[in-house]
Order: sequence, then structure tokens, then C-alpha cells
Amino acid sequence: MITSSILLGITTFAYLLCALLYLSGVIFHRRTIMLWGSVTGAAALAIQMAGMILRWWESYQMGYGHAPLSNLYESLVFAAWAIMLIYLVMEYRTKQRALGVFPALFAFLAMAYASFSTGVNSKIQPLLPALKSNWLIAHVVTCFIGYAAFAVSFGISILYIARESKQETSGSAHSLLPDLRQLDELNHQMVLFGFLWLSLGIITGSVWADLAWGAYWSWDPKETWSLITWLIYAALLHARNMKGWRGSRVAWLSIIGFGCVLFTYFGVNFLLGGLHSYANMK
Amino acid sequence: MQKSIWQGLYQKLASPKLTVVIFLILAAASVVGTLMPQGLGEADLQRHYSQRAIWFITAFGLNDLYHAGWFRLLLLILCANLIVCTIERLPKTLKIFRRRDEQVDPQRLAKCSLNCQFTSKLSRDETEARLTSIIAEGFGALHRLDGADHMAGVAEKGRWSPFMVYVVHLSVLLVLCGALVGSIFGFKGSMNILEGEAVSEVMLEDTDRGLNLPFQVRCDKFDVSYYDNGMPREFRSDLTLIRDGKEVLKRELRVNDPLTYDGITFYQASYGTILKDAEVELTDRESGAVRRFVVPFREWVDIPGTRDRAQILRFEEDFRRLGPAMILIISRAGGEPDGSWILIDRDFHGNQIENYHVRVLHATRTPYTGLQVKRDPGIWLVWLGFAAMLVGIGLTYYVSNRKLWVWAAAEAPGKGETRIIIAGRTNRNELSFEQEFNRLCDRLQAELGQEGGGSKP
Repeated sequence: MITSSILLGITTFAYLLCALLYLSGVIFHRRTIMLWGSVTGAAALAIQMAGMILRWWESYQMGYGHAPLSNLYESLVFAAWAIMLIYLVMEYRTKQRALGVFPALFAFLAMAYASFSTGVNSKIQPLLPALKSNWLIAHVVTCFIGYAAFAVSFGISILYIARESKQETSGSAHSLLPDLRQLDELNHQMVLFGFLWLSLGIITGSVWADLAWGAYWSWDPKETWSLITWLIYAALLHARNMKGWRGSRVAWLSIIGFGCVLFTYFGVNFLLGGLHSYANMK
Repeated sequence: MQKSIWQGLYQKLASPKLTVVIFLILAAASVVGTLMPQGLGEADLQRHYSQRAIWFITAFGLNDLYHAGWFRLLLLILCANLIVCTIERLPKTLKIFRRRDEQVDPQRLAKCSLNCQFTSKLSRDETEARLTSIIAEGFGALHRLDGADHMAGVAEKGRWSPFMVYVVHLSVLLVLCGALVGSIFGFKGSMNILEGEAVSEVMLEDTDRGLNLPFQVRCDKFDVSYYDNGMPREFRSDLTLIRDGKEVLKRELRVNDPLTYDGITFYQASYGTILKDAEVELTDRESGAVRRFVVPFREWVDIPGTRDRAQILRFEEDFRRLGPAMILIISRAGGEPDGSWILIDRDFHGNQIENYHVRVLHATRTPYTGLQVKRDPGIWLVWLGFAAMLVGIGLTYYVSNRKLWVWAAAEAPGKGETRIIIAGRTNRNELSFEQEFNRLCDRLQAELGQEGGGSKP
């Protein structure tokens, strides 16, 4: 019988295959291979979606009945899905397939970490009373769309810096990539998109916290780190729009911003604790 | 002299560099606040840090960083920066917004960084009709500014988009104002109510003061349900609010479902049990006399047949994983009181105080419900700020101000050809605008540039 864990297991390897296809397409300079990367990515996305819906249904069978967005495992799975979804939409709109290596790799790493790390519990667990709210779905979905957009932007930033440093040696792989100006513009669009969703995520979390505890902001480490992330990207947007920063300086800020995203997500859970400690590994 | 100081300060506050710098300092300060445990008292500091470190921590308020004066000053500078930048820039944006082109100058169009020029071979009427309809598809209706010998027009989309950044800035001010109003005119606290008890006092957060509500809150019943694995599934209290002896409101309070009455909001936050009283058996190890009696929580009682007294000082449901336990104090006549943790469910050899061996025969517990209570008159400003922020950032992302100018005139008298100049400008996302502009020009050239026109290649 097909279970959600089988589907999500298939997804993990599909993302690996997808990343390898994109990579070989870039290395061997073959557009057809990259097209296969896109097809694999889209198929993996669909299988993963089916897996998440099945897991939702399974949680009802177990009598818990909650959306698969409640612990570290489920949020990692959703993060992988959101990264790939955002990337594929971007690919469809820009017709630039060569950017797919990093998003596919991140999606694979998130899935692999969720599935194979002994520290991540993949069991369906019941929800604490404080988490039983429709705000859970709104809060987690918005936050992770933001994080995923920042992950894609991180990938673009790395490509930008790599491409800029090898400007003179016009390697074969590079002609497949968009030029520097396009990368910079794409990066800016992605950061602005992520910033919108991160703001939504922080605001939904804030409204929910007010509903559950009567405090829309309590300087809990997770809250504070999401604010730090927000401030870094706000600084990036202001530096770009008001001070005219372009290119590698923006790319580096985006890389720092994504470092903050990772710390908000993992660092706070493992090192700091607080209101979000239910997301801890157990 | 003095004027120049103020001018200098004003110019500093108007600089966009300051905004970026404040963002980064706020971020760095917040990092420190998450690494350094917040809310440590004097005693905790003494235990964990050296004297020099303590001096440093208290001097900069690092143990309560987010409420420290310098952190608030940073927020204040951010607000000032926002306001000054708005004062500086809004008039310019308004001026651009109000300015309507009255005529189109072909020379200026040709100087635009994004422009294209071509010749139409179609008739004048046909050219005009096609230009208008094709431009309207992607850039909005053409506002005509024809001259005596030429056709001209402007198409614009997202005229409001340059204002969205001010909406976002206003939203930040609204949120901070809301927080300020809440902290001045509101309060935050908690109340623990025993089942069956009515309470009107709220214990305020961050102080040891209490606050009396103008009404009483009674907990009629408290209920917890559990999952199979022992995790709590749900907890709820049936509450009755009593004002001047009359029941004014009856409602059940659940997690994530607060109750508001008279501007004060109650949240189901926690629960627990406290000890109401315990029946104990004391065995005097010297005389062997056994005495049984009931000790209420935190009240002195005489030990029957002696001049000694006993009191229960504390109760814990699970003391060091040994199960329920309480601190019993016995005060012997003429001596200092002495006390010890007494395990309630076990007859433990360490259950001894003075010359008595203590056994708990029965412990009566009462559940209590833990409520979070607050009044926050600033919350609507915060919600309004949040809404404005989302609208502002959302529209900044989705709508950009894009403008297109068209100018067309007969190439040379009698020749029947029309020269066309198109130019475009956007405030954001230049690359995709450029692509769209080029597509438009290619299409126009293809459709208008051919003799007899009309058939697409």
C-alpha cells in the first residue's frame, strides 16, 4: 500500500536526480538534459504534493487530524516543496533553466536531512493545544514561502559572484547562464518576493501569538531572529533602491540574509529555545 | 551657528545611509539579545558572571536589552529618519504624480534611454488605430496629446505605485505607536483561579504589584483531556464574570480562543494543581506517640497534644521525579522552625523533621486554571500598521509605475509615410520592462512597417 513516507522517499531521490540533471546540463552544455531536469523537478513536486496530502489524511486516520506543518520533519518537507515550486515558476517565467542546480540541490538536502537524520522524528505527532489553530497553516506556509524565496535568491547570488569572478574566462557553462544584469534583477525580484512573504509570516505569527498568549511580540529568540532576517533584507532593499547598490554587494547581503534564515530555522531550535521549542528535535 | 547644528542633524536624519546603518545596528543588537539570556535578576548575574562582566551587562542593560534606553533610542532615531525622509521626498513624489504631460516632445523621446523609432507605411488613420490598440494591450489606454501636425499620447500604469513605499513607512510608525500606546495605557498580567473560586486581582508582569479588576472572574469548572501518549489535547475553563454581585457573562475559555470583556482580554494559558490540605501522621521518635491531623496549605495549625505548630509551605506535583511532595515546617515551642521536603506518595525514611517521622495519609488537591490577562488599547494601531505594511509591500512587488510616450507625424508631405517615436520608463524591474518594451517595438514595426500591412509574419 502506498504511504506518505514512500512518496516522500521517492521525492528525495527525484530531487537528487533533478539536481544531477541540471548540473550535467550545465557542465556538458546540453539544453535537453536541463529540460529533463525541469521535467524531473516538476514530477517530484507533484509526487511530494501527493505525499503531503496523504500524510494529512493519515494524521486524521490516527485521530490527530492536523496539517503536515507541525514539526521539524514536516516543515523541512514543506520547505523543499516551496523552494522547488518557486524555482519552477521562476524558470517558467524567465525561461532560464541553468539556474536550477542550486534550488534542486537545496530541495534534495532538505528532504535528505529530514529523512535520514536520526535527530529528526518523522512520526506523525499530535498537536499541543496552543498549536491547534488555523493560524498554524497560515503562519508556517507564509514563513516558508519567504524562506524558500530567500533560498532561491541565495542560489542566484552564488551564481552571480561565481560568474563575476570568472568574467574574463568565458567558460562554456557561462553562456548558458543569464548575464550579470539579468541575475542581479532576478535576485532583486526574488528578495522582494521573499520579503513580502516573510513580512506576512511574521505578521501572521504575531496575530496568532496575540490570540494564543495575549502578546503579539515578546522578543522570543525565534521572533527576534525572524526580525533580524527582516532587517537584513530591509537593509538590502534600501541599499539597492536608495544607495544604488548593485551586483556583488547585493549578492553578499543576500547570502548573509540567508545565513540569518538558516539560523532562525535551525540555530534557534538547537541553541536557543523559547516559545518555538516544540519545533525541537526529540 | 545654532541653526547650522539643527540643519546638520536634519541632513543626517534625511540620509538613506542612516536607514541602512540603523537596520544593521538593530539587527546586531537583537543578535546580542538572543545570545545573552534576558530577564536575569541580580542573583542570577552574581552566580554566572564575573564582577567586570556584571558591570558591563548592567551598564548597557544587556540583561533586559529590548527595554534598555539605548535600544529605544535606536527605535526613536529610526522613526525620526522615517519621518524626515518622508518630509524630504513626499513633495517630490507628489509633484511627479500631479504633473501631467501637456505635450510630447519628439526630441526628448529620442534622448530617453529606452526608445525606438521607425516608419509606418500604413495610412495615417490605420497607423493611429493600430498604435492605440496594440499599446493598450500591454501598457494601458493612450491618453492623447495631439498637436496640429502630429499625433501624440501617453500611456501609464501603476501611477500610485511610487506612494507604496510611504505606506510601508507609515505602517512601521503605526506599529511602533501602537506598541507605545499599549505599554503606557495597557497592562499585562496573569491570574491563577482555583476551581470554584472567584478572583479579581491580576498579578502584573515584570513587577510584584497586583491590580484589581472592577469585576470578579470565577472558574466554575476546569477540564483537561489527553492524547494516548499523555500529551495534553485540550484544556478549558468555564468562566463566569461577576460584577457588583451579578453574573454578567458566562463562557468557556479555551486555548487560542480568548474572551474580551470591558476592554480586558483573558487567555487560557496554563493549568496546574495546588494542594488544598493534607492529612498527616506524625510519629514522635522519642515517645512513640502517633498524632494524626489535617494541615491546610500555608496556614499554621497546632499539633494536637503538643505546643508545636505545623504548616505546609510549598507543593510540587513532581519533585525531582520522585512524585508529589510538599515542604512541611514544624515550629517547636521556643525553637527555630525547621522544615523539609516530604514525599507524599511514599513512606520515605527521609520524611523527618525535628524528632518527628512524617507520613502523608491523604492529600487533597484542587486544580487551578492559569489565565493570561491584558488590556491593550494600542492593538488596533498595530493591526492597522500590519495591514498597511502588507498592502504597501505587496503593491510594491506587484505594481510598478510604467510610462510610455508615443509621437507620430507625417515623414514628408505627400509621401504617405508616418515617422513614429516611442519611449518608455519604469521605476522598478527595469529588465522585464525593457524586454516588454522591445517586444512591443518589434511587433509594431512588424505590423506597421509593411506595405499594405495587416498580415503578421
